[in-house]
Formats: sequence, structure tokens, C-alpha cells
Amino acid sequence: MNKVLTFFFAIIVPALAAQEKPGNLLVKNGTVLTVTKGRLEHTDVLVREGMIVQIGENITAPSGSKIVDATGLYVMPGIIDAHSHLGISDINEYTAAITPEVSVGDVINPLDISIYRALAGGVTISHAMHGSGNAIGGQCVVIKHRYGEVDPAALKMQGVPRTIKFALGENPTTHGRRDGQQPQSRMGVEFVIREAFAEARQYQEKWDHYNAQKKQKGFRGAPPEFSPRLQVLADVLRGDIIVHCHAYRADETIMLMNVFRDFGIKKLVFQHVNEGFKVAPELAAFGAMASVFSDWWAYKLEVYYSTAYNAAILTRNGVLTSINSDSGEQIRHLYHQASKTQKYGNLSEDEALALITINPAKQLGIDRRVGSIETGKEADLAIFREHPLSVYTIPVMTIVDGIIRFDRDHDADDMRIYVDPDRALDLPVIHRQAFEEDNCMQGTADFYDMLK
Amino acid sequence: MNNRCFLLAPVVLWLWLVAPVEIYAQDETVLKAVSQTYAITNAAIVQAPGRKIARGTIIIRNGLIHDVGESVVVPRDALVINADNLYVYPGFINGLSHIGIAKPRDEQHRERPKDPGNPLPEKAGITPQRNVVDFISPDESSVEAWRRIGFTAAHVVPYGKMLPGNGSVVLLGGLSPESMILKDKLSLYAELTPADRVYPSTTMGVIAQWRGLYQQAVLAQQYNLLYAANPKGIERPVRNEVLESLYPVVSRRQPVFYKAETVLQLQRVMALQKELGFSLMVGEVKEGWDLIEKIKAAGADVFISLELPEEKNKADNRDTTRQPDLETQALQKRKDDFIAQHVGLAAKYQNAGLKFGFSGIALKAFDVRKNLRRMIIAGLTEDNALAALTTYPAESFGLSNRLGSIDKGKIASIFICDKPYFDEQSVLRYVFVEGVLYKIDEKETPKPDPNVKAVVEGEWNMLIQTTEGKLDAVLTVVREGDQITGTISGTQTPQPVSIENVGLEGTMFKFSFQGMVGQRSGKIEINVKIAGDNFKGSAFLGTESFPAEGKKIPKF
Repeated sequence: MNKVLTFFFAIIVPALAAQEKPGNLLVKNGTVLTVTKGRLEHTDVLVREGMIVQIGENITAPSGSKIVDATGLYVMPGIIDAHSHLGISDINEYTAAITPEVSVGDVINPLDISIYRALAGGVTISHAMHGSGNAIGGQCVVIKHRYGEVDPAALKMQGVPRTIKFALGENPTTHGRRDGQQPQSRMGVEFVIREAFAEARQYQEKWDHYNAQKKQKGFRGAPPEFSPRLQVLADVLRGDIIVHCHAYRADETIMLMNVFRDFGIKKLVFQHVNEGFKVAPELAAFGAMASVFSDWWAYKLEVYYSTAYNAAILTRNGVLTSINSDSGEQIRHLYHQASKTQKYGNLSEDEALALITINPAKQLGIDRRVGSIETGKEADLAIFREHPLSVYTIPVMTIVDGIIRFDRDHDADDMRIYVDPDRALDLPVIHRQAFEEDNCMQGTADFYDMLK
Repeated sequence: MNNRCFLLAPVVLWLWLVAPVEIYAQDETVLKAVSQTYAITNAAIVQAPGRKIARGTIIIRNGLIHDVGESVVVPRDALVINADNLYVYPGFINGLSHIGIAKPRDEQHRERPKDPGNPLPEKAGITPQRNVVDFISPDESSVEAWRRIGFTAAHVVPYGKMLPGNGSVVLLGGLSPESMILKDKLSLYAELTPADRVYPSTTMGVIAQWRGLYQQAVLAQQYNLLYAANPKGIERPVRNEVLESLYPVVSRRQPVFYKAETVLQLQRVMALQKELGFSLMVGEVKEGWDLIEKIKAAGADVFISLELPEEKNKADNRDTTRQPDLETQALQKRKDDFIAQHVGLAAKYQNAGLKFGFSGIALKAFDVRKNLRRMIIAGLTEDNALAALTTYPAESFGLSNRLGSIDKGKIASIFICDKPYFDEQSVLRYVFVEGVLYKIDEKETPKPDPNVKAVVEGEWNMLIQTTEGKLDAVLTVVREGDQITGTISGTQTPQPVSIENVGLEGTMFKFSFQGMVGQRSGKIEINVKIAGDNFKGSAFLGTESFPAEGKKIPKF
């Protein structure tokens, strides 16, 4: 019977969620973890047109609402990953050290199956970022995991602050050394950033001057050269763009804060910042925020000095902290990453959950819309079989704007939106021929020849 | 047999035996006519989609359609083609192609580019000032290849990356590059193609660069106008060839023609159009079935690709002996559904009332007719197929007073075939390009010489080079009459394995065997060409192929 069912579900075309009545749901009788307003048992969440309109007990659903029975299940706000590279066709414009004019928002890829897999881990929003190969990289984009849409613009979260990627340390210097360009050293990274901002400042002054003169009657003059690159940097100076800076070591974070202080830039979130625990008070004093790994380090020399207590120490010292994945694999169990801070740092349940919900929302400037379960917020919800911080938990349903985008029990096996007809079928290769030798002797076929 | 032609035609077509003949290509004869006037009589004429003359006559004079109709007077000096039982169509128009331009050689860049962030515009792919007339030649092999399947005109664009240059409408024939150009600079051609290891090396880089250039061109044009009106007292503008070639685009006098094949490329291009405001045409459209409303809203001219995915992918035929399991069946079904989507795209647009043309920039002319038939089986009507090949492109390019149908006064670009064009057996006999007649000869498929028999039996040392190492084996082949059998033995196959699926055609030898390559084992297919004591070819394991060669072991 199971085989027939599996076959049946395997061959139906995945019912694209866009065909459902948009955003009218009643999530009934779950344990609701609001993150900001405590834990509510046996509580309903009513969603109308994608917004949470009511939270309470025994709510009657208006007609036309889909009912989701969450009895015995846990309902938390959709997880937000502040550092991801999923859902975009390009990651790094590596040919120059300073490329703020490019934007991954121009190349959103709604067909990326990784988005669906992130939904399967309860993640509803990700901050799709430019890579860390450039000292000043490209602009990033916040995407909602509205999987099933074909229009790239449909994934872009509208009306949110702009963000841009900076990078310090080994990554930008490696590229510089490869190309024989600046920066090739850590001091080069600082210089390149300072120089770029100084040029941007001059550029902005030229244009301000021209625009002022243009208003005067009878003015005839040549405009300054238009540079999209310097224009974006000028926007950063003006405070229009939040800077997300990839950094690991304590010294480079201090360096960047000094540079930003000199140029009057305040909106700063450090990404990774494994040595953040060393300079937590300094980060807090500047107002810089941190988005860290739970316990991933030692893969590079600059990531050697780290601790699993990083998130907890930063939190306790007044730095707004989130936990991110920077990985298509880790994004599928960010809830486990957050739970580690309960062991390493004794964070409370709400503090741990905040690391993957309301805190990243604040770092992206979207906390008034998402990041917690409160009336008036967008209905991004993740439903789990056990408590999300329990090692036994399994995500069962993920909802974005009140539309079910991941349903463990009902989704088809093949959730691809588009299929490439020129690609061979992606089938597992099973070796049918048994090795004639012990597995331990693999690759030693030549050895036998030598013995003859 | 209609006897009227004998009364009317003073000079019958067998003139090529008498008049001087210019041989252009081995399978085509250009008739240097004694007269510039032709009469095609008794033909079934398809003047345009939905307009047919069951039996009629066309008079061509000086490169133009002088007259067409059921009863038309044949001039005394006309060369007559008796087209009894033949069909005449207006010449087809390819909406986007590189026909006539030799493909530039792939330069092997050994060195890492210096200063990749500031490349020369040519390296970055930014050459919007280029023009087709500087690259095209009427002798290039693709011109003849497309002509022989009925195409007499095309929108040709230069090769390049993001901004290769201007596209022109050309006639697929002529004595010189200049004479081919019918409409120069019809479009500014663009692709979302990044440069090679220099900026912009990503699609997002291309988009940012295009945006920047566009905005710079707007400012430069404004300032140039200001300066031209009264230059006194203000700085003289710096000349910029690249920006100047964008002026017609920013003032909406020239459209941008994007190659946009995938659903993402199409949407990105339309987003750029919405943001910057240029006039848009898209070609090589493949994954367009979900974008009908968007394309209508953008008001873009659409050219669907004539290239279609193959029905049965070779890579899938791994093991045809076993019954495929449920997962394979499901995956294959989804793949087949998408192949059907591609093939059915033209029919879907037709049913939604979205008019379109056809383009072919990457595929071989050889595949075009087969693909058109597939689209027709999927629901595209023959009239709509014809419209996409004739009237739509003519109108889109602003040439409907000169191309696209067989009407008096239009350019005489037509072709004659022995059955309706979309019939499977239909063969083209003649093509006129602006009144110049080309006779299409049957191409001979080279038959393998039966006298050249490769000696395949004996012992061979076979070497297969893989990424994981070499496979060294001894191939022993035995021949008994027509039966060829053999075995393979080597370090990785200590027990001799017999070869299967053996085939020998002339010098091409193929077989398969169960073997191991590196850590992987499976069926290895060998396909080689024998030349005396050596053979050379490929070995296939799964989807990967490796070079294979062999040397005969001499018998002493």
C-alpha cells in the first residue's frame, strides 16, 4: 500500500502553493512560542491575507480559511537566516576589490531547490549575500522563501533596508594576491576601504555642488561623471545601507569600527566574528551587531581562536547577536544550532530562539514585520513536532505570508519547479560488481601486479 | 501536363546547359542568367499565411516580384520555370542568428588577465559600436545551409558577450557583404553574458554595467545636445564611442534585442526594460510558457527558438535491460513533461493570442525542419508557423512593404519545393534571393567505401585515459566470417571479459564490456576509428567519456 501511495505522490506535479487561497489560515491548538511575549499553550493563531490578526484560545475560523491542526505541535516564528547564498544565480563578482554597484538582488533565482530545503528546516526568510572575496562587495537582498513562484521579484521582500557586503581578512587579500592588485595584506584592506570612502565623499560633494548650481537660472555646465560604484558608497556614507561585514579576528573588527567612526557610518553588522567574544564591550559601545556560527571554526588560520560560547558571551555583553548558517546544509537545522547556546552559555529558551528569529530580523531592519508571533506581523510560521530546541524535533510545516510552502506529510517527492530537459536523470549509481578485494585494499590493484 | 507553358515560354529552363554557370558550392548552382526576368508557372503559390493560389504564375524582374496571380502574362524575355506540382513560398526570415559571420576562434587564455577590474571594453564584451557589415560574408557556409531550407533573410548579429554590436537584417545571398545588408542597425544586440575572467564576470555584474552605461549615455546625450545648441562658455564634451552608440537606444529610436532563453533571463531582461525604459525585443525564447502576460505587458517582440530538446536523451539509456524503478519512472515523466512544454511553446503562444517569430542562433540548419514539424504536431497550425517565419518578422523589422509575402512590388525572395513545406518528405528545389536563382541539388550522403575494410581481428593494446587513472588492457578480437567476438583482459580485469554489442562499419568499430575505471565499475562502451595498426576514439562510462586509443600487438 505504501509503495502505491509513494508512487502516487511521486508522479503528481507538485501542487504549487500559489494555487491555494492566499494567506487565510487557522493554526489550531499548538504550543505557540511567540519569542517576544512568552510561551502560550493550547493557543490558536488566526491568519487573514497573510497577516497574523489574532492569537488566542478557541478562535473560530472565518469561512474559506484552511485549518491546520497543531495539537501537540510547537509553533514558532519562521526562522530567519542572516547569512546565506541560496536563491541567487551569482555569488561573487571577484574581478575587483570594490564592487558595490553589483547586487545579488538582480539575479534572484526562485527555482533554486535549496530554498525548498531551507523551508524544510523551518526557515522562511534568508539574507542572500554577496560573497566575501571583495573588501567592498556587492549589495545583498532579503528574500522570503515563497517557493513555487517563478517570478524572481516575487521572492524579494519589498520595502526593507538595503544591505551591502564588506569583507576583511584572508578572503579579500587572497584575491588581491592572486591578481597582483590591492589589497594583499590586512593593512591594504583598511587602506582600500578608506580610499573608497574618501573618493565617494568627493564624488558626493561634486554632485551636490552640481545639483545646487543646476537650480540656478541660466546655468549651463557639464555634470560630473556618473559612477554607479561611487554612488552606492555615497549611499553607505549617508546611512542608507546597512553594512554586513565578514570578519573573524578581533583586531580587524576594531579596525573597521575605527574606519566607520572616522566616516560617520553607524549601521554595522559583523558576520561570523568568531573572536567577537574578545571585543564584546567594544562592539556594544559602537552599536555593532553580530551574526555568528554556533560552533564552526578552525577551517582557516584566522578562524582558529574560537569558542562555542561566542553567541552567549556576546549576548550577555549587550551585543545584538544572531546565529546564521552561511551554508545550504546548516540552514536546514538552524534550530539545532540555536539550541547549542543553551548548553554553551545557558541562554534561556527565548534568548536561544531569539538568535534565529527576532534578532536577525533586527539586524536586517525587518523586525517590525517579522521575527515573532504577534498580531500585526506577517504570518511566517514554522511548526515542529517537538520543541524546536529539542534534539528530537522535526519540522513538519513551514508557512510564509500565511501560505503553506512546506508540508512534510503532503509535499510531492519531486519539488522542482522547472526541469532541465537536457540533463540526464539524477539517479544514484549503485555498484553492482562486488569488489574482489577487501575494502581496505581499495586502490591497490597495482600492488598485486608488483608481487607477481 | 499543362501544354500552355510550351506556348507561352520562349526560353525554357534547361538553359543551364547552354549559359555560363557559376558554381558556388558543390550542391548548389547559381545561374548567371541571360535575363533578369523569371516566370514561375503553374505553381501552387502560398502568397502569405491564409492566402493561397491553387495554380498560378509569378513574374520576377530585377529582383522584385513584378506580378503574381492566377492568370498572369509571361513576358517574352522571361526564363520559365514550369512549377507544375510544385509549391512556392515566400522566403523565410530568421529572427536572430549569426548567419554569414564566421565563428571567432576560442582564444586560449593561458595567462591570468592583469587588472581584471579595469579591462578594455573589447575584453569586457562592450562593443556596441560594431556593425554586421564588417563581419559578414555571403560565402560563409551557414548562408548556404540556411538558404537550402528556405530562409532568404535573417536578422544577423555579431558574436560577442554583453554588447556585441548592432544587428542588421540581411539577405542570404549577394556578391559582397554590403550588398547583403537590407536594413542596417535594426537593433542593438545584447546578451546577459559575462566576460571571461575580467569585469563583469557575473550576470549581476553585466546588469550593473549595463545600467551604468545606460545612465551615462543618457547624461552624455543630454550634455551633447546642450553643447551643440550653444557651445560657448562650457566644457567641450569628451567623445565616447561606446556611449554614442547607445544614444539611439536611450532616445527610443532603436530597440534593444536581447537573447533571452531561460525563464530567468527573460524576466531579468524585462525587469531591466521596466527600470530603464528602452524598447525591447527578445529572441531564442525557450522557457517562456509562464510569461505570456508579462511579455504582453512589456510590449516586447518575441522570437521563439527553433532549437528544441532531444526527445530521448542518450545519457538516459544506461541500462535498458532492467525494468526502470518507480523513482526513475517519475523522474523520466517530469522530464518528458518539460520536453513537451518546450515543444508546445509555440502552440501555447498561438492559443493565447501572443504573436511571435522564430529565431535560430545556435542550432544547425539541418535540425530546423524536423523541429518545426514537432511544434506542429504539438498544436501549432501550419499557417501560424508560416506567419512566424514570414509576416511577423517582416512586420517586426519594419519591412512588411518589402518582405514576408509574395506580392507585387516586394523583394523576390521565394523558394520552390516539391511538396508542401511542412510535409516530412518535402524537398526544396529552387530558392530565389532578391531575384537571384539558386538550384538546390540533393546532398549525397557519403557511403562507406565497401572496398576499405578495416582489419579488426588480432591483439590490441588498448589504453583509456581517465581522470582517475589509466585503464590498460589487451583486446583480443576474433573474426569468424561476419561474426566478431573478443575478450578484454588487463590489470583491472584479471579474468578475461568478453566484449558485447560489437559493431563494425567500414573503419568504425564499437563494442562494450563490463570493466572498472578507477573505483567505478560498470558497462564501458568503446567507439573507435581504426586506421591500420592503430585505433583512436572514445570510451563511455555512464555519462562520462574518455579518450581511448589502441595499438596492434605485432605477431611474431
